[in-house]
Amino acid sequence: MEKLSNYKYTMDQCNHCGQCKWIHPSGMHGWDYSEICPIFHEYGFDACSGQGLINIAKEIMNGTLQYGDGLEKMIYSCTACGACDINCKSVRDMEVLDCILALREDCAVNGTLPEAITERKKNIGESHNIYGLPHSDRWNWIPKDCGEDPNSDTVLFLGCAVSYRQRETALAAMKLLRAGGVSFRLLREEEWCCGGILWRNGQTDAAEKVIRRNMDLLHGQGVRTLITACGECFGFFRGAYPKFGAVSFRVRHISEVAAELLEKGKLAFHKLDIDGPVTYHDPCLLGRLSEEYVPWKGTIHSYGLHEPEKVWRRGEYGVYDAPRMLLRSIPGLELREMPRNCENAFCCGAHAKDADQEFALKTAAERRREAKSTGAGCVITACPFCEEALSEPGENALPCVELTRLLADALEGGEE
Amino acid sequence: MSMTLEAYKELEAVVGERNISNKPWVLAGNRARTPEYPFEYHSPDAIILPGCTEEVQEIVRICNRHRICFVVTVSGASVDAYANRGDTVLIDLRRMNRIVEINEEDRYAVIEPGVRHVQLYPELRKKGFTYVTAAVGPGGSVLANYTSTSGDNHNQHGASRANRYLLGVEMVTPEGEILRTGSLQTGSGWFCPDGPGPGLRGLIKGFFGSHGQMGIITRAAIALNPCKGPREIRTEGHSPHQHIYLDSECSKVRVFNYKSLDDVREAMLRIGEAEIGSTVMKFFYLTLAVMMTDSANEFHKLWPRIRRELPMPLVVHLATESPEEMAYEEGILNDIVEETGGVRIAPDLENWWNEHMDFFMVVSVLQRTLRLGGGWMPIKLGADSVSHIVEVGKSISEFIYDYTDTGKIFDAPENFQIVPMEYGHFAHIELLFMYDRTDPNSGKNVAEFRKTSRYTDLKHHYHAETLGCLNETTELLGPLYCNYHLWMRALKNAFDPENLANPILKE
Ligand SMILES: Cc1cc2nc3c(=O)[nH]c(=O)nc-3n(C[C@H](O)[C@H](O)[C@H](O)COP(=O)(O)OP(=O)(O)OC[C@H]3O[C@@H](n4cnc5c(N)ncnc54)[C@H](O)[C@@H]3O)c2cc1C
Ligand code: SF4
Ligand code: SF4
Repeated sequence: MEKLSNYKYTMDQCNHCGQCKWIHPSGMHGWDYSEICPIFHEYGFDACSGQGLINIAKEIMNGTLQYGDGLEKMIYSCTACGACDINCKSVRDMEVLDCILALREDCAVNGTLPEAITERKKNIGESHNIYGLPHSDRWNWIPKDCGEDPNSDTVLFLGCAVSYRQRETALAAMKLLRAGGVSFRLLREEEWCCGGILWRNGQTDAAEKVIRRNMDLLHGQGVRTLITACGECFGFFRGAYPKFGAVSFRVRHISEVAAELLEKGKLAFHKLDIDGPVTYHDPCLLGRLSEEYVPWKGTIHSYGLHEPEKVWRRGEYGVYDAPRMLLRSIPGLELREMPRNCENAFCCGAHAKDADQEFALKTAAERRREAKSTGAGCVITACPFCEEALSEPGENALPCVELTRLLADALEGGEE
Repeated sequence: MSMTLEAYKELEAVVGERNISNKPWVLAGNRARTPEYPFEYHSPDAIILPGCTEEVQEIVRICNRHRICFVVTVSGASVDAYANRGDTVLIDLRRMNRIVEINEEDRYAVIEPGVRHVQLYPELRKKGFTYVTAAVGPGGSVLANYTSTSGDNHNQHGASRANRYLLGVEMVTPEGEILRTGSLQTGSGWFCPDGPGPGLRGLIKGFFGSHGQMGIITRAAIALNPCKGPREIRTEGHSPHQHIYLDSECSKVRVFNYKSLDDVREAMLRIGEAEIGSTVMKFFYLTLAVMMTDSANEFHKLWPRIRRELPMPLVVHLATESPEEMAYEEGILNDIVEETGGVRIAPDLENWWNEHMDFFMVVSVLQRTLRLGGGWMPIKLGADSVSHIVEVGKSISEFIYDYTDTGKIFDAPENFQIVPMEYGHFAHIELLFMYDRTDPNSGKNVAEFRKTSRYTDLKHHYHAETLGCLNETTELLGPLYCNYHLWMRALKNAFDPENLANPILKE
């Protein structure tokens, strides 16, 4: 769908200015923690960065560079975290991440994909989840009395990671919705993977099938609001789905819903048994990459004039405040910010795992080093993939807690 | 690739497998070609990332043994940090990124080349210091800016060019010797560039910077200025609408419109004489409009108004230690502006500057200017007295309309800046033009425009074009500057007989 040549303008515009590698000046704080691109941080060559991948994409497009020699591994070690994209867009009108994703799309056809990535596609095709586990395991554990209203036009979309690996998060989300009086229902056996991972990996045909199927289902059922506790699903529903057609339902993250309930006085939290300060890790797809994609088709004239005018996703309206507001509302909980936060957050590395496990672990360890530098005793996050990555054993270990579960534990007067 | 396997293996033995590559896709990250690049385009044979001075020395010696050219890069934001001929290895100094020392008593910082503005600035500010920063953005190398490029900056009215702040330097000569200058050579520390010990600042840096033609600088000390604003930088908002707050009682921006460059000159000289203001500049009006907007489309909407209302903006930033000092400086400024015919611009436009000057001053947002499709080129970049530079500014109208009226470059004939230095003792000029990268003739147009500008300066005997590294321009300009090019060439031949360090090229 996305040809490399669609991004020729971005490729031709890049001036090697390096903003895509360094924290935005407004967030500068000192020598350490000033790089924002995980692959640049690890490998150091300019090729391993948003700017470098753009150059590579251009040479692939022009036929002056071929796949092989470890290029595919680098293309997929890039965590697609979008830090380069948002930082570049703070000063430029360019689509760095979309260009990287178009490179992946080309690579999926003309290169050799890392095995684990091919495996994911097979899993989703066969059993509708990224792990290749039986489809029935997606919903067969959901308690009958979870409080859903079969007539609700609000769907709580669980996603693969929450359904298979972090069921406590699903139960916590349901508890919060019940406590706030939000009517919701679950898709159960009708829920499939959101397909975002296929899209991000450039396996666009497969992604399109899943995304169209999900859109038809949700539109067909008259769903008006989709809530998810997964940062990834949230970002994909908002950022990728509109690429395949108009989305008629509103997509919300559980933290946005909970923050609204808190403001309306429908939720209250009590003190938790947590010693010392905590810090918050912004998931990429909940934060800087969660702005809604508004399709644009048109002409780019001389001197950057886009006709018709384009709605840019510059990361300004990511979900940054809701999780922080919720954490600050828990009595006695001290929230400390990491140096790289919000749109400048350093990725946890989760999605490099399929291409390079060792690099993924190092990236998570680097993020934990930063979390620990704040003096926090634990890191909170709002995405099951980030939680899993940050909880991996390794250097700079520190406990990682998922936000929805933390909030459910802190619910004042809530059910058990 | 023409580098021999033997040479590659020798280089690899110095830095380890992880820190060198000749994979085509790795090289692709440093071989982007842009139309403004004046030289023939080449790919490096390898990219190498040394971690310390000794490794740099070893690499340079290997290059000499195997007759391999070398070019240094850090951020690569400047067009000179690329392979400009075959048989070249690119030495990327990013791993050498330590802040070696911040000496609060003698007010200097010792840094390695990989230290970026975004890293050094906040570290210094925490200690109550600042330094003159280029507008290159967060990832630019501080050291490269001080030693190897012009070092012009927007604060230089109340300060100076970066080269004035260069102290002790450690460098690896093109043949692989380690050279230490000034007090450093005699073991007396980093504090002095010119002795006791050899005063080689001119040789290393020259006026503009040698672009690594005289060797690789591995550590340098820069002098610091006291910081007048708060130590902690307070920021609000998210990209691209962040605000950095300085102390508003002691930081004010005034923007005035002038009708003639002669009046601008008068205002600059008098503000300098009064020794007030931290920044004074006749700013680029096109650049100003790009900086004020969030997208190219918004720029195109704002531009007609700026073009009409602000053809000759004089931006003055007053930064003081106290509100009383502010009142004093403001009073003097108002008198000078009134007497020189300046008119304060519309409040909505001036407010933008008040809200963003802090941002601009701190690490700059000048990369935004690249937003109009990426085609940009700063030329002239020379310096002389304020009056001389104003004459240079006036001469731009002699040739620019042939290019703006025919659409060869963006139609903004007044898009040049004049920034006085050291309270008006001299001034810098920069003519920044935008061109359309999608135009297949843009490369040709850019080259032609540069040449026309250069020959206009030569015709008038103007000191307007920068004294760059050794190339054709140097040969042309040399006679205007006491034949400095002959000295430069002799030094280059003595230090680099094989012409391997960022080799001299024909444009
Ligand atoms: C938007 C923009 C704005 C800019 N504004 C300014 C400005 O206001 N003032 C200004 O002076 N410059 C400016 N520049 C030019 C230049 O990029 C800067 O001077 C910058 O600080 C140089 O650092 P760098 O990391 O970009 O160096 P690079 O681009 O990597 O290198 C610059 C040159 O120095 C050589 N070099 C680098 N390090 C060494 C070393 N250690 N030893 C020997 N040679 C070396 C390189 O070979 C190359 O020739 C600007 C550039 C851009 C893109
Ligand atoms: S991708 Fe954007 S931020 Fe990165 S170097 Fe290119 S223009 Fe600069
Ligand atoms: S998406 Fe993330 S990992 Fe990939 S190049 Fe950009 S900043 Fe680096």
